[in-house]
Amino acid sequence: MQNDLSHYKEILVKGIWRENPVAYQVLGICSALAVTVKMSTALVMSIALTLVAAFSGLIISSLRHLIPSNIRIIVELTVIASLVIVTDQILQAYLYDISKQLSIFVGLIITNCIILGRAEAFALANNPADSFVDGIANGLGYSMILMAVAFFRELLGSGQFFGISVIPQFVYDMGFQDMGIMVLAPGAFFIIGLLVWLKNSLPGGISHEKK
Amino acid sequence: MSDKKQSNRSFKNSRVYVVFFALAVALVFSVLITSAATMLKPLHQQNRILDKKTNLLEAANLLPENERLTPEKIQTIYDTHIREVHADPRGQILRQATGDSLQLYLIHTDQQVQGYIVPISTRGLWGKIHGYLAFEADGETVAGFSVYSHSETPGLGGEIESQWFQDNFKGKKILNAHNQLVSVSIAKGKSENLPENLQDHYVDGISGATLTGRYLSEGLEETLTQYEPVSIIFRQKKGSQTHLDTLLDE
Amino acid sequence: MGDLLSLFVNSVFIGNILLAYFLGICSFIAVSKTIETATGLGLAVIFVLTVTSPVNWLIYHGLLAPGALAWAGFPEMDLSFLKYITFIAVIAAIVQAVEMVIDRYSPLLYASLGVFLPLIAVNCAILGTSLFMVERNHTFVESVVFGAGSGTGWMLAIVSMAAIRKKVRYADVPAGLDGFGFIMIIAGLMAMTFMMFSGITL
Repeated sequence: MQNDLSHYKEILVKGIWRENPVAYQVLGICSALAVTVKMSTALVMSIALTLVAAFSGLIISSLRHLIPSNIRIIVELTVIASLVIVTDQILQAYLYDISKQLSIFVGLIITNCIILGRAEAFALANNPADSFVDGIANGLGYSMILMAVAFFRELLGSGQFFGISVIPQFVYDMGFQDMGIMVLAPGAFFIIGLLVWLKNSLPGGISHEKK
Repeated sequence: MSDKKQSNRSFKNSRVYVVFFALAVALVFSVLITSAATMLKPLHQQNRILDKKTNLLEAANLLPENERLTPEKIQTIYDTHIREVHADPRGQILRQATGDSLQLYLIHTDQQVQGYIVPISTRGLWGKIHGYLAFEADGETVAGFSVYSHSETPGLGGEIESQWFQDNFKGKKILNAHNQLVSVSIAKGKSENLPENLQDHYVDGISGATLTGRYLSEGLEETLTQYEPVSIIFRQKKGSQTHLDTLLDE
Repeated sequence: MGDLLSLFVNSVFIGNILLAYFLGICSFIAVSKTIETATGLGLAVIFVLTVTSPVNWLIYHGLLAPGALAWAGFPEMDLSFLKYITFIAVIAAIVQAVEMVIDRYSPLLYASLGVFLPLIAVNCAILGTSLFMVERNHTFVESVVFGAGSGTGWMLAIVSMAAIRKKVRYADVPAGLDGFGFIMIIAGLMAMTFMMFSGITL
């Protein structure tokens, strides 16, 4: 059995860094960007996605010997969609303000390619515990990118960090202005492009296959 | 071994098994989500009501700034300062709704009426915008504005929920020099670029959201025209403090 | 009529489902390598959106919305929490049906469009449009216009991207930025261009 800690660590590192779902697999970026204007919404989105990824991995993997292959996808979608609905209900009940700002983007976790992709590629072939860890790993990898984008967009776009103003007044007095473009959609595209560039230039983040 | 596997696989894809499995999955998950939805529903409703109350207080400038308030605290402030009432088409304030009455909220401190809040509900660029516009007791000065639900583009029309935009309604007048209703509108660009006699009736616009601004201006004008009889009642009392019950019993 | 026109123009440009709301980026990146395939997928998206948006409107307002079941004697019923799972099922079913119809009647169209159809079922632009339609309280007619507009906007974006990628194929992009990062930067510039329409009044 490989069930020791280093084995889980291996899965985690793979999901979070080496095969980071956003930068490497080019997956799941859809809903990743619209919620990155503020760090608080990005954080809640990250937690929601990580939980859905982990539990859908767990459930699908537990059922993997029972699922008939010809209705495989629809069963996976049912599991994922149900988990998303429950997540959305919980958010509306306990984090109403943020769930209002996330609007439709919680629902779009259903079509997030990371979750279905991991269910297909990992959960169907591995045991439940491994799949759960794999879900968390991929969720955290996604969260890392999302939080990084949100960090820059909130800092440059509104001069804030989790809603707290961090740029001192004298900087504004000297003529500094918040960058409006960062709040808008193009800012997200630029930041993510530059982040991918940064990651590919770091050791260990070797450039992926040429497009 | 491989035979067994083979038969297992063909059993897994047999029609009976597929139908049975699909039904079982459907049953289990529908129970799961329905129970989650049913259990959490009271909380959702509570949240929605609390959110509206928070926005009413925000429009009336009754929320202490930069402080996270507990739901109980918000409820307390609401109970001591806001009274939901109705107004008939002649502007008479009523305790109970009648067929054609309008809903509004009175702001009061120690039962002395300080102003009133009008609910705003208008179309935006994408969907409905819901919010509140609060007035001072003089019936012409805007005390505050807040939005609790909209679906405008984040960063563009979505700015209507930002603090700077809402703050910029404070102190605007809905009457012109001849005491005629002119409503309060959203300017295209900064209001200070407008002729001086208009500055009191325009708030700074949001760049890139001309249409949101236009729809909101139209909606405000329509609503204020509807509520004009109420505002007239308040203007007639100009300056004098009114007790809540006096206003309601008139 | 003017309102519908402005809804259409808004959903094509200012509220572009891809460049302003980031929906459907997966296939936007994967399928923008050549103009032909981009056009094919774009047409498929327009078609599917124009159909799924009103169908989901009917289902939502006929069955799921709060009070929608009043005709069946359940005026208190609120099934709106089921919208995610219903919409995704409707979309998957419609895509499947469209695929079969095209395969049966137009093998030529199927050969060029068919490969994209399964991709569309999990394209977040489709689900997103249906969810926006509910969130924004569109009427039935508006849902058709909004679906068609979103699709057109999406196609415009992916075809332009394919054209730009063709032009920059031999550009000397720094290592590391090449590929995904570069596409994102181009998308950012495109998003800025599309936003310029936001001053437009109809």
